[in-house]
Amino acid sequence: MRALARARHLLRTLFSRQRVERELDDELRLHLELEAEKRLRDAGSVEEARRRAAISFGAVESVKDEVRESWGIRFLETLAQDLKYGARSLRRNPGFTGVVALTLGLGIGANTAVFSVVRGVLLRPLPYARGQEVVALHQPAPQSGIEDIGFSVKEVKDYGSLTPSLEDVVEYHSMNFTLLGGPEPQRVRTGVVSAAFFDVLGVKPLLGRTFRKGEDAMGAEPLLVLSHAYWQQQLGRDPGVIGRHFEMNDRVHTVVGVLPPLPGYPDENDVYMPASACPFRSRPATLDNRQARGYQAFARVKEGVPLARAQADIATVVERLKKEYPDAYPQGLAPTATLVSVHEEMVRSARPTLLVLLGTVALVLLIACANVANLTLARISDRGREMGVRAALGAGRVRLLRQLLTESTLLALIGGVLGLAVAFLTRDALVQFAARFTPRAGEVRIDGAVLAFSLVATVCTGLLVGSLPGLPAFDRLARALTGDGRSTAGRSRQRIRSVLAVSQLALSFMLLIGAALMLKSFANLQKVDPGFRADHVLTMTVDLNWSKYATPERRVDQQRVLQVFEPLWDRVRALPGVVTAGTAWTFPLNGAFSANGGFMIEGVHHDGQTLPRAEFRGASATYFEALGVPILRGRAFDAHDRADAERVAIVSQSLARRHWGADDPVGRRISSDRGQTWARIVGVAGDVRQTGLAVEPPDVVYASFGQFPGYTSTLFVRTIGDPAALADKVRAEIRSLDPQAAVTNVRTLETIRHDALASPRLTAFLLGLFAFVALAISAAGLAGVLAYSVSQRTREIGIRMALGAAPGSVLRMLLGQGLVSVVIGLLVGLVGALGLSRLVSGLLFGVAPTDPMCFLGSAVVLVAVALVASFLPARRATGIDPILALRTE
Amino acid sequence: MPPAPAVDLLQGTLDLLVLRTLRTGPQHGWGIAQRIQQLSEDVLRVNQGSLYPSLHRLEHEGWIEAEWGSSDNNRRAKFYRLTRAGQKRLGEETESWERLSGAVARVLRLA
Repeated sequence: MRALARARHLLRTLFSRQRVERELDDELRLHLELEAEKRLRDAGSVEEARRRAAISFGAVESVKDEVRESWGIRFLETLAQDLKYGARSLRRNPGFTGVVALTLGLGIGANTAVFSVVRGVLLRPLPYARGQEVVALHQPAPQSGIEDIGFSVKEVKDYGSLTPSLEDVVEYHSMNFTLLGGPEPQRVRTGVVSAAFFDVLGVKPLLGRTFRKGEDAMGAEPLLVLSHAYWQQQLGRDPGVIGRHFEMNDRVHTVVGVLPPLPGYPDENDVYMPASACPFRSRPATLDNRQARGYQAFARVKEGVPLARAQADIATVVERLKKEYPDAYPQGLAPTATLVSVHEEMVRSARPTLLVLLGTVALVLLIACANVANLTLARISDRGREMGVRAALGAGRVRLLRQLLTESTLLALIGGVLGLAVAFLTRDALVQFAARFTPRAGEVRIDGAVLAFSLVATVCTGLLVGSLPGLPAFDRLARALTGDGRSTAGRSRQRIRSVLAVSQLALSFMLLIGAALMLKSFANLQKVDPGFRADHVLTMTVDLNWSKYATPERRVDQQRVLQVFEPLWDRVRALPGVVTAGTAWTFPLNGAFSANGGFMIEGVHHDGQTLPRAEFRGASATYFEALGVPILRGRAFDAHDRADAERVAIVSQSLARRHWGADDPVGRRISSDRGQTWARIVGVAGDVRQTGLAVEPPDVVYASFGQFPGYTSTLFVRTIGDPAALADKVRAEIRSLDPQAAVTNVRTLETIRHDALASPRLTAFLLGLFAFVALAISAAGLAGVLAYSVSQRTREIGIRMALGAAPGSVLRMLLGQGLVSVVIGLLVGLVGALGLSRLVSGLLFGVAPTDPMCFLGSAVVLVAVALVASFLPARRATGIDPILALRTE
Repeated sequence: MPPAPAVDLLQGTLDLLVLRTLRTGPQHGWGIAQRIQQLSEDVLRVNQGSLYPSLHRLEHEGWIEAEWGSSDNNRRAKFYRLTRAGQKRLGEETESWERLSGAVARVLRLA
């Protein structure tokens, strides 16, 4: 009640000000009248009574003033006054206001935009209920050099029942299936999950329900839960989709639910099905085989249990499993068990880039602040007399400082509004950028937290910009009045300005080095020889509906698959403009595909040993020619390398060198199934960066596609002319061979290579852009300082020239002054760059974070720009007419 | 014996007396000053330079509220009245004043 009354009173005082003042007048007048009446008896005359009453009352205005003081609005009134003065002074200098607001706007905007990504990706809690409890399990085998051997169905069950600190352990894998029931057959990325998968994640459906307990049991009806994106894009947000039937893998699946928008994690799945609905996973051979480790495991840690406890628990479980089922760990396989929060899994690869970007934009804003502070200082010098007069009229030092701060905060707020516009405009581009690193990019938005950050950054900017020049400005304020303000106050101001200019140069140097490192890293990546010739090759993924190409045991029916691909190669090769066509299990530079396994060399390894490992790729006879991968020894595959002939293999050069040195491996035999079957090496192929540009080429064993065909394969077509022009014709050939085959990822090999460079290219571009902006701002700052210095030293320069100093020597003197700032800036920046270099090292490829060339190059650029920036004001100094200069004072 | 010189009131004490004066009913500024002077037999002198800021501050704090009404000769006057919060405040202030003055008196007696 009292608070309400107070607020009402305050508001009334603020907004009905005139009335409140009138009432105060009335109140005091009544007092004087009553007092005068009381004194009438003693005074004799009315006039005398009034006089006495007035004397006893004291100064009415000062009483009023004290009353006003008690209203508690003084502070607000002063602020309003400051704002009025501030706005007026900014309006009077539209040039200054525009430049400063724009500079700060860009700085604040860049910070807001980058922070919105940091907030959405790194800081926001996952859109899962108690998401911090959700973990991914891994079984790394460090001795065999494997990051994660995966889990078998039985192992997932064991982890679930044996780990007390985990609420539930669920199984997950993702496959492509053909979905029938819509207008045309569709390939859908399908998450295959335990029934409790969504409960473990903590996801509630948008429509319908998720899977229930027991719905992943063998023999259960196949069901589907749709992802939000799939429901939106392919089914037009049909609210009646629940209960609809789709045919997949020759069985009818019923839709039971639709998910809300979620990060594309663990994969960008279109639909989800219970584990038992997956025809491969539910083969008895898979269910019972502890070594069929094709699955991922996720779990929810019990509430309140620290991750370390859960980690210790699963470490015990894996030891127990190894002891209990030694046969399940052949080839010296000795996995450990780890768990990582899924939040960490999602953001791990985005974090270094985002933090480097955030640091970069923060530095840019600092540089912008220093520059604006410098401009403000110059204005204070010009306004020295104005400030002096105000001080003489009774404005306190604090009041003057507050006036400055109000002005700068006003400027920063204008900048902040511009900054928000910048952030909104750049958001989509940044989201796309972030999507290359993390599935959480879709959660980036400009929300309350981002706005709050922006506001705080704006206010801090305003205070920083206002107080940097403000603090020393009044040291010798009085001198401004007497006219010799420049002698001392000028010098201390000049010192501050130099310090500001030097810090700008130092920060710019650091940004330049960062950009140079990223650029060199990017150039290195671009120079990397991927091991194939990317030009003139069209690629596409061909997905055969597996259920039409499977044996009754749900194995690939090799003959039927080859009946599509073999004629396809011939028909495509017959198209005009085609050199050759070939097929492999996947395309190169594909980090998402892995077929890693151990292999034995006949006569060298035996079962039970820790075996060497390699990536396995099925490749057709013409694959090497189509990709331009050289065959260094022996031969490529040929049309005879089919199921009915001897098993053959081609090994990569790195593998051959590792195991045979200079000897020729051709003719030797290797086995990938512990000696049950052997394949004869018929050739050695050049190394190919199969898994990524920044990743060293892996040891690869190529199997003949004729002996190991895959129904999801990549077709490569080497052409004479523009490869993209042939896409439709090739697609038509595929359709004529199997109308149900889905063709996706139609693009050139150049595009694949280009995409592999996209994120380092963007990072380098952004850092380069920011470094350029920083350099431009700093150069302007340095030029400003020198110009100011020249204007301060007009008389001195005039005397020098009158005494016979040549323009050249004056020029050198001033350039020298600029150069001193640059050298100090370089030294400070060098220390800073060395200190921060560790932060960027994770983003670099083939460049040390202390690369001397990058440091030297950045220094040269900075010195050159600084010299140009110094030259302009210095040139003007040489034009000073000694006589005029001497007369000015 | 000449009358003892009047004593200026400290701010906190003035607030207390204003609140106490208003307990008997609404009053305007001049009336409050007169009443304090009368009751203290002219020992306490109320300085207008403190009275009106004090009244406005108490109003701002919500301990008293103001209302325009007519004074004795039918003149418009601003009457102040004690609020419920003001009554509570008066109780607290009185108690603390009595504690303080009692303590001072004891010290003067015994020291």
